[in-house]
Amino acid sequence: MFSDKIELKDFEKMDPEYQDLLKRVLAIQADCEIGGPHLYVENILPTAPTKLDQLIVARTAAEEIDHYRKIARLAGEIGADVSYVLSRPNQERYVDAFRGEITSWEHFAVFGFLIDRIGRYQLEEFIGCSYAPLERILPDVMREEAGHIDFGTTKTAELAAKGGESKVKVQKALDYWYVKALDMFGRSDSYRSERYRHWGLKRRTNAQAREQYIKEVNPLIEQMGLQIPDPDKGRHYS
Amino acid sequence: MPQAPNTEAMDEHLKDVVQALHGAVNWAMPHLNDPKIVDKAIQDCKEILDVVIEGKVSEWLK
Repeated sequence: MFSDKIELKDFEKMDPEYQDLLKRVLAIQADCEIGGPHLYVENILPTAPTKLDQLIVARTAAEEIDHYRKIARLAGEIGADVSYVLSRPNQERYVDAFRGEITSWEHFAVFGFLIDRIGRYQLEEFIGCSYAPLERILPDVMREEAGHIDFGTTKTAELAAKGGESKVKVQKALDYWYVKALDMFGRSDSYRSERYRHWGLKRRTNAQAREQYIKEVNPLIEQMGLQIPDPDKGRHYS
Repeated sequence: MPQAPNTEAMDEHLKDVVQALHGAVNWAMPHLNDPKIVDKAIQDCKEILDVVIEGKVSEWLK
């Protein structure tokens, strides 16, 4: 396992595999950061239930754009232009969860509850990572992601607690996003994941991170009085 | 390692975008009971975000 700390000035001296993997992981992270606003701004900003909710949607989008900016800057410094992800159609995003659009408040709430939480897991991979400039941007980004997760969790719980049609809708949203969330960790036997770990760019295997995520969210789902969706239904990766 | 083109310019532009969005939200938050102020802030955010979502990067950096 590679354990040195690499600064920008050292990057050019690094093994080509390291350079390629760092560029790739930054491009995917940038794509995921900007992919959120592309999913929900158009439909949810004008229709969120209250004015406060609308402002929070706008603030959430602003924070995700800022996360994109920070990641894009790191990528740009090592010669990788990731601005193409700003204009790509949702259907072409790296990660399946960002390839549609969010058209209801229930889906927006569950997206924050489940998918922003995956964002936190992705960022946690970089804690203590070998590329020091990446580690340095983490505290602010992770603090803001925690806010998105809390908002999504609170709203999902409120919608479930209302019962009736509201609970049915939020359960459907949960069923939709749960398997997408599990797939976001990638294949358990991923060779690339092993190479990320070899170079100190990630900490956990895909399977370990997915397992920890399941242990974290399943009790929360049960506490909300919702059903844990079938983890295998509609999955692309295991 | 040469920087990718427009790294600095894009960074500065997006900083301005984010600042404008936060400015609009922060201006409206203490005035939730004043629809005129809140609606104007939401509209401002919508206009800014629409440009970001459109993603015409070359036009941003002219």
